Amino acid sequence: MATEYLTQRSQIDYVTEPVVRIEYVNKEFTSGDETFKALDDVSFEIHRGEMIAIMGPSGSGKSTLMNLIGLLDTPTSGTYWLGDQDVSKLDRTEQANVRNSQIGFVFQSFNLLPRLTALKNVELPMIYGRVSLRERDLAAREALASVGLESKMNNLPNTLSGGQKQRVAVARALVHKPNIILADEPTGALDTRTGNEIMHLFRTLNREHGLTIIIVTHDPDIGRRMDRVIGLRDGKLSPNILREYYNVEMLDADNETITIEPTREKVAVERIANQAAIAPAS
Amino acid sequence: MLKEQVLMALDSLQANKFRSLLTMLGIIIGAGTLVAVLSLGNAVQSTVFEQFVDLGTRRIAVLPGDPNAIGARNTPGYGLVSIQDYDALKALVEQHPDIFRTIVPEVSAPVSVRAGTTAVQAALVGTTKDYQAVQTVPVAYGRFLTDADEDQSARVGVLGALVAEDLFGQDPEALAAAIGQVIEINGQPLQVVGILEQLGGPFSSDQRVLAPVSTVRLRLVGDLDLPGRGLEMSSILLALESEQNVDQAEGLMRSTLRASREVAPDQIDDFRLNLPTQALGVLAGINGAITGFIALVAGISLVVGGIGIMNIMLVAVTERTREIGVRKALGATDSDVLGQFVLEALAISLVGSLIGVAGAIGIVLLVGVATGIGASISWTAVGLALAFASAIGLGFGLYPARRAALLQPIEALRYE
Repeated sequence: MATEYLTQRSQIDYVTEPVVRIEYVNKEFTSGDETFKALDDVSFEIHRGEMIAIMGPSGSGKSTLMNLIGLLDTPTSGTYWLGDQDVSKLDRTEQANVRNSQIGFVFQSFNLLPRLTALKNVELPMIYGRVSLRERDLAAREALASVGLESKMNNLPNTLSGGQKQRVAVARALVHKPNIILADEPTGALDTRTGNEIMHLFRTLNREHGLTIIIVTHDPDIGRRMDRVIGLRDGKLSPNILREYYNVEMLDADNETITIEPTREKVAVERIANQAAIAPAS
Repeated sequence: MLKEQVLMALDSLQANKFRSLLTMLGIIIGAGTLVAVLSLGNAVQSTVFEQFVDLGTRRIAVLPGDPNAIGARNTPGYGLVSIQDYDALKALVEQHPDIFRTIVPEVSAPVSVRAGTTAVQAALVGTTKDYQAVQTVPVAYGRFLTDADEDQSARVGVLGALVAEDLFGQDPEALAAAIGQVIEINGQPLQVVGILEQLGGPFSSDQRVLAPVSTVRLRLVGDLDLPGRGLEMSSILLALESEQNVDQAEGLMRSTLRASREVAPDQIDDFRLNLPTQALGVLAGINGAITGFIALVAGISLVVGGIGIMNIMLVAVTERTREIGVRKALGATDSDVLGQFVLEALAISLVGSLIGVAGAIGIVLLVGVATGIGASISWTAVGLALAFASAIGLGFGLYPARRAALLQPIEALRYE
């Protein structure tokens, strides 16, 4: 199996275990007599430490797929492994608990609670995770520092700029150390420059902290900077969607962060270190 | 987690201060009414109780025994009550001033009363000044009997309203002028010193002529003595210090009378005690009816308040659909969301009832100071109001909270 992965994903230059495994997943929606197949026999894997994009035109099923990965919905058939747990047939409470402990959400419209300060917003997942006040406070401060907002932690969301709001949202998504971060059009409500800053932040978190990041987007300029793109058209996987649909090419690893990120050498060093650390385990 | 949710609930009240206050209004009014009216009601009821005393809630009458009792017909004078019983009971009353207030004799005889050319039939009642303590005998003109009248066996009497009207007419001036006039009782002269107000009813003194016992016995009726037992009395009335003493007083009186009348242990009483149980029952009934009615009105107000809470919580759930979606995405379970909204409803009703109770306490204290009636806070009512308000908050909060809890996270997140 391991060799197959390597040949299949030749553009991925290091080996690690899959954190998301989607196997033969179908999702059907029924309205009246009509059955609509939003996802048609979809299978793929996402590995720990990957930063990938899910792309496709509207109606392609990418939102449905994101909802499934985020455990906001269940597949009609097929299996979804998150880590080493089959999460495709959980009840609502179990889903909530898995969302809480293993998934960090970043939304297009930030979705910060307006009555809570930045710090309290970041604490929110840990409140539902029953983390003690002291630990919560500590972790939230750390998370805000990691997105560069330690000076704004007592601000209410409406006193923050769009980019700052999205940074708070990112801090909230990573504060409880989830397995994956799931971002739905995270730059959609931001101008190009601020959007680039957020993408840079994601890339930094991915490279420096090894976070697995899944970004749902229709922006090919974001897609081509990812490690990999999972393309969807009409509910089916579409392997070369960037070239075939968006008419752009993937950037190679060295160019992934070009224009958005200045320190390429450091990243390269980290990658080698990553590879060395993981190789014996596989 | 609970602490977090309580803070969230209070914060959400604060976020919409004015709306929360309006929502609470029903609960505030309901809880406030309950506490204020029950507290003031207690004071008002105490006053009402005082009014009812004359009706006989603090009185036990000793009446002659049942004339149909076994052996009664073979015993001359069986069961009759005399001055011997009166003396025995009088000693008892003096022995227990904490239980008994006073003792009053009632010696009665039918007589004919004449003033000038008018004559009527009436009941002559020999009694004492303390008759006022056991019967309702408000004086309209002149005065009531005094201790001096008794000591001197004075030829004075107080007329019931109907007797006075029959003799002197209905004109108030004629009645006022009747004071001091001399009438005849069975041919014996008697000076009118007072006329009573008309009360009506079969047990009132409207058709009676009241005179001192000694006067009745010595000057008006003549021989009313029972052989070997002294003056016969139609009844003896004992006034009690409070309604609570009825049972104790009854026991004491019964044993005293059985001893003084030498009733053998195996024989039934040859006298009867007329207890105020019925009057007390009526009072308890009135009390219960008033309390029940107030509780009902306050309860309706609280329920209406609860509907207000439900309404506003449904609005809040709709308004905050997106927030619910976010919370769920971040890992809030259905029961987390349920708890949050139930607590919010509970917070509205509890804060509302606390405001209402505080307001009611203020009003009760103010009214107490202003009117001088002994108003005291009914802590039972306070407890009742808080408990009921919480139950309302829970009950009416549950449905909106359930709606929030069962929202699908995807739908909620997509909600605009």
